[in-house]
Order: sequence, then structure tokens, then C-alpha cells
Amino acid sequence: MTVPVTSLQDLVERDRDHECEGFGSAKVCVRVVGVAELPTRFGAFRIVGFWNNRDAKEHIAIIKGDVLGADAVPARLHSECLTGDVLGSLRCDCRDQLIMALKKISAEPYGVVLYLRQEGRGIGLLNKIRAYSLQDQGLDTVEANLALGFRDDERDYAIAAHMLQSLTIRSVQLMTNNPKKVGALESYGIDVRGRLPHLIPPNPHNRFYLETKANRSGHFIDFGGKPRLTEQHDLVMVDGMPDALVEKE
Amino acid sequence: MTAHEVRDVIVVGAGVAGLAAAHRLKEAGRAPLVLTSGRGIGGRCATWRLDGQPVDYGVGFLHGVDPELVAAIHSVGDATPIPGWPRHVEGRGTPCQPRAFAPQSARLAYAEGVSAFPKWLARDLEVRRQTTVERLALGDAGIVLTLASGEQLCGRDVILAMAGPQAETLLVPLVEDSDEVDAARRLLAMLGALPSLTVMAAYDPGTPEPPFEMLYPEDSALLQTVAHDSSKRKAPRALVLVLQALPRWSRAHLDTPPETWERMLLDEAGRLIAPWVRAPSVTRTHRWKWARVDAGCELSQPLLIPLGAGFRLGVAGELFAPGGGVEAAWLSGHRLAGRMLESRPS
Repeated sequence: MTVPVTSLQDLVERDRDHECEGFGSAKVCVRVVGVAELPTRFGAFRIVGFWNNRDAKEHIAIIKGDVLGADAVPARLHSECLTGDVLGSLRCDCRDQLIMALKKISAEPYGVVLYLRQEGRGIGLLNKIRAYSLQDQGLDTVEANLALGFRDDERDYAIAAHMLQSLTIRSVQLMTNNPKKVGALESYGIDVRGRLPHLIPPNPHNRFYLETKANRSGHFIDFGGKPRLTEQHDLVMVDGMPDALVEKE
Repeated sequence: MTAHEVRDVIVVGAGVAGLAAAHRLKEAGRAPLVLTSGRGIGGRCATWRLDGQPVDYGVGFLHGVDPELVAAIHSVGDATPIPGWPRHVEGRGTPCQPRAFAPQSARLAYAEGVSAFPKWLARDLEVRRQTTVERLALGDAGIVLTLASGEQLCGRDVILAMAGPQAETLLVPLVEDSDEVDAARRLLAMLGALPSLTVMAAYDPGTPEPPFEMLYPEDSALLQTVAHDSSKRKAPRALVLVLQALPRWSRAHLDTPPETWERMLLDEAGRLIAPWVRAPSVTRTHRWKWARVDAGCELSQPLLIPLGAGFRLGVAGELFAPGGGVEAAWLSGHRLAGRMLESRPS
């Protein structure tokens, strides 16, 4: 690396012709292509745009504070979910999880949310809608197994690992409820200094997690009668929920 | 139920998806048996012989971006690759697989015809031809396949590798046994497949050579592509064009007598190219009822459904991987075999 990196903006120049062997079996290689201020209702961040050299997908990192060369950076992986993140769908808890992650890192000296453009965790928006359609026909367990069950976690973690490396982050504290996910990131050479449980606060829409038990297939049925799905990398944990209901993945 | 031999793996369908799966399983020490209703193998990777001259009447050329697929299509023995075909492309119409022309995409044909690829995949495989599977059922020793002949076969693992609507039909009797199969069937019902009526047309020596290798007409309501097929051949004896109709038009004419739509497609090609195109010396038609998958329908992964006492039903095909066409078919079969080996090595 010949270009000195003293600010996030320098990453763009450094990565202008970046091309490496890639991470994971898909040989994912990303490069930083743009950095900008991003004031949000959850705090002031910077947004770093990544381009995937191999499949032309765009990914982003939302950053608080000076993370270059930093240790034990709180980090959350979030998979794009148009229906949840943008439309406020109640078929998943993606929006609550995303907002909570942004609020948490906003309150820290530094932190990062890696927003992976893997809609429905890689199955794509149209197939997610087809999966919901199967669910509407009464096929709940299957829906998860069949349509959302083959999510490409490996790819997500490969992308995330490369993004963290591109940002010169030395080590992270992974915001996840699933201890197994720590190892997934470590296998790509990322130093994980610990795990921060990702609790979301109770609200009228997720109150049922505190009041009902998971149904026979391990899914929570919400008040609208629709199974709630975990479209992120870990199971949902609502503050106050009994632990027994959580770590079963 | 009659006594039957229990096989390790039975693959139903000898297109690229089924052969890719069987090839990988065989390399890993498994013993797959491949069944196909056809007389030949390769499915839509199909080559006809016109007095010995190959004519590709399904897939016109292979293409892809996946490094493993690209390596596989370049390593076919007994075949002369024509890298980059088609190089001379005319027309601003939509190709069947627009991604074939993306900058990273490798394109390739073979002088011997595109069926060289499935033949290469099948070179060490046990393939039973003209064997139609009529029905699946769950038995005590595995998944029981009832053939059109009445014979029954049984496999501990069964892979369905065929067009989506065909797989959907075969899944119906297993719906009672498994919610996953029910979901798979309903999922397939949502997806469907696109038809394409195809005319192969050969012309007498001395006919002028068209200036293109592939034509994608932008102003036709009938034709999606015209392939200058003989441009792939070493010293072709005849000029051969392959006309393939648009999905919508094809669907409207699926039940029309072939001589009717053949005439309409030849006239349309004549209008688009030159009058001589209307009058070939030899023609042949093929009705692809399930020619390809619509790009909006592709799924991310093949299906692998556990059934009964440790038996598994896999479903692969062009639908079950990104990229469309031969790339998706190959990837789905290759990945399905990989998953089957991971969970139950030989």
C-alpha cells in the first residue's frame, strides 16, 4: 500500500485499482469508491460506498468516529431488507434491528454498520416475495427452510471481512446474538474481541416476543397471524425476552 | 409393489443440470444412474446432424461468468472450441440471455455443436435413454420411481433435473409426505417457463452468406434470434440458419401445426434479412415448450429436501442458480451434488 491513509477519503485513492484474490469461496473483492457525510435522525455518520469487483454489487458501511486502525470497533452486519428497512414491514424485525444498531454506534466513540446489499440475504427481493406468498398459503416452516433457508451466510461474512479490512479496522466487537457468527468472521482473519448482544427494545409491534412462545417450528407468530422471520444473521432478541427462547440456532 | 434394486442416486433428466450433478457425484465415488426420456442427451443443449453437419437448435452458444463454469466449458475434450462466438452480432433486440453480452461474460461455441458439452459431462456416466419416469412415491428403501414401462426403480437419493413445469408434475404425489415438497411444488407453479418455436433452415450452395453470426431483430413481433449456425462449422456444406421465436408469439402458436408457423417464421426472417431466406432447401422444426427461464424467476440455490428415513430429493435445473441458461443449469447441478456430498460423503 503506497498511498498513505490518514482519513476515510484516502481509501478512495488507495483502492482506485484495487483487485485482490478475494475472500471466501465466491472470491469476493470489494473496493472503496466514495465517502461522504451522512447526517441521520439517529446521529451523524459517514457513509462509505463499496463496489464489488466480482459481481458488480454495491455495499455500504455506515461509520461513526475514527475507525481507521482502531481496535474493538463495535460492528453490526445488516442484510438489506427493502420490505423491513424501508417499508416498515412487520413480517420481519429488520427495521428495528437496523435502527437499534445505528442508535448504538451513534452513542459510542466509534462503530460501524456494514449494510450488505444481499436482499433477503441473497435470495433476492422477488424470491422473498414468492416466499412470503408461500407463507400466505399456510406453509410457514417450509417457507423458511426452502426459500429463506439457503441463505448465503458464507458470502455475507466474506464481504464483511473484506470491508473491515479495507477500512483498516484492527479488531471488532461483533453486535450479534449468535455466538457462532463470531467464528464465521474470524475464519476470514478478522480479530473479534468480543460479542455485544443485539437487544432491541420492546415496542407495540414486537411485544408478542415477550408474551408468546415460539411455535412448534421455532417461529414466532405475531398478532397479525403471520410468522415473523429472522432475515438478519442472528435471532431476534427483544429486551426482556427469556433467554431460553433465543439461542437455539 | 414389485421388487426392485435400490440405487445409490438416481438422476432424472440428462440435460446439463442432471449431468453436472451426476458427473460430480461420480467423481466423488458415488454411483449415479441417469435416466432420460429422450433418445439423446443434453436437453436444450441440442445438436441435430444435417447430413453430418451439426446444427444447434436449442442453446446457440455457451456463456457465463462463474470461474468454475468457464473452466468446465473450456476443458471439453473431443471438441473444437470457437471462443467468443458470436463475434458478429447484429440488431438491437433483446438476446434470450442479455447477460451473455455483459463485459465479464465468456462466450463459446464448438465446431462439433453445443451438445459436445453434455456429451463430455456424460462420458463416464451410466445413462438409460428413452426411459420416462411417470411417478414418484416414498417407499421403505428409498424413493420409488415408476417408469412408463411399468418397471420400478428405487433410489436413496433422487435428483429431478428438468424444466420447472415437468418437475412440478412429478412432485405432486409426494406432497402428502412432506410440507417441503408441497412448498417446492407451489414455488415451481409460480415460476413457469418460456416457450420457443424453432426452425432450422438449410440453403443450397451459392446462397449469399449473411453478414452476422447472431441477429437479434429489434423490430419483429415474431423472431427473437436468427443464428447463422453454419458460421460455427469447419467447411460447412450448407448454409444453415436457426430461427427462434419470441416467447409470447411462441405461446400463441404452440398448438398450431408446425408447417404453419414454420412458414410465418421463414417469411419474417425473409423480411428482416433478404428474400432468399424464405426459400430454404431443407427445413426442420422443433417446439421447445419450456425453452428457458424468465430472468425474473431465477432462484438462488438448488433444493435438497429430506424425505422419510434418510432419503433425499434434490431439484436442480436452470431455475435454481443465477445466470440463466447453461451456466445456471450447470451451477445448480454442480452445487446440488456438492451439498449432497457434504452431508453424506461416499
